[in-house]
Amino acid sequence: MPTPYEVLGVARTASAAEIRSAYRKLARKLHPDLNPGDKGAEEKFKEVASAYHLLNDPEQRRRFDAGEIDASGAEQAQRRYYRDYAASEPDGRYADASSFSDFTAEDGEFAEWLRRAQHAHANRRGADVSYRLSIDFVLSITGGTQRLTLADGSTLDVKIPPGLVDGQAIRLKGKGQPGHGTGAPGDALIRIEVLPDERFTRDGDDVRLELAISLVEAVQGGRARVPTPTGEVELSIPKGSNTGTTLRLKGKGAPVRGGGRGDELVTLKVVLPSAPDPELEKFVAGWSGGKAFNPREGRHA
Amino acid sequence: MSMDKRQFVARCNLEVHTLEVWLEQHWIVPEDTAAGPAFAEIDAARVQLIRDLREEMGVNDAGVDVILHLVDQLHGLRRALAAVQDSERESERR
Repeated sequence: MPTPYEVLGVARTASAAEIRSAYRKLARKLHPDLNPGDKGAEEKFKEVASAYHLLNDPEQRRRFDAGEIDASGAEQAQRRYYRDYAASEPDGRYADASSFSDFTAEDGEFAEWLRRAQHAHANRRGADVSYRLSIDFVLSITGGTQRLTLADGSTLDVKIPPGLVDGQAIRLKGKGQPGHGTGAPGDALIRIEVLPDERFTRDGDDVRLELAISLVEAVQGGRARVPTPTGEVELSIPKGSNTGTTLRLKGKGAPVRGGGRGDELVTLKVVLPSAPDPELEKFVAGWSGGKAFNPREGRHA
Repeated sequence: MSMDKRQFVARCNLEVHTLEVWLEQHWIVPEDTAAGPAFAEIDAARVQLIRDLREEMGVNDAGVDVILHLVDQLHGLRRALAAVQDSERESERR
């Protein structure tokens, strides 16, 4: 790390006046506001200002020379320069266009280009704004509306098209930042998160559901009320159904782009009564066909 | 956040008389509102620049006048350049 003397380019024996003069010379070159486009100017200027403020204080300088303190003690606080505001000054109270008015006044390609750019800039489109919106699984299939609170606290009823998938985005034209001048407003980009559902899962255009059935329903068949995203329907369970048997409810899945709908695939799961049943135990004990059947036969080595 | 004259001199730790002179010179140009002149952070940063010029760099009032005029032109030019860049990007997007 260079010493404050090296930073200012003065001898260790320099007088206060010499130090001041060296600093002023450097500050006039390095001040960030006199170098608005130079990102590095701020660091360099800070270094020079720190060095000067240390050496300009006789007590600090004496302690530095005696080795009691190092140069880091004089760090300058972070500050915002005029250039940081001038770059984004909205009303242009200070910025002055007279230095290039000769270009815009003249005919020619450059003048035309500059005029067009200024016009486009003055009337530029507003920025897009991103949002996230969580919706229920069922709403993602059926579509509908969901209320979204915007950045400014206002609310918007977002129309959810049927069949959305998790991560898909909806673009709402004109609901972003207002435009400048005659420029159009930006869009709101809403990324949709589909919340998991305890019953349904999505499988492409189909919806999957696991349905618990009793042993009696499995053996004898029967009818059961089954939930679908669009409401309950009656499903007929064929005689001899098994765990893993998948039944198809036509057109009860997600809408398909270009018309039609996917299906709901209902996978059955045979569930025995939770409490031990003496009657069932007795039946099974005398069920010779059941004992002869090995469901693992041929599946495992 | 806009400030009236009293809040502004307190914020900048500036003598009212000094501010009057600078307003006279058009070094500081507050926004004109129905409630009187309104100052913002950009004006405070400009006060700091004027101070740096006069106190840190030893620039006299005539020098400050010239420098502010050139700095304002520089920012005008930078804005025009930024506008050109934006409109080039915009037309690339289309």
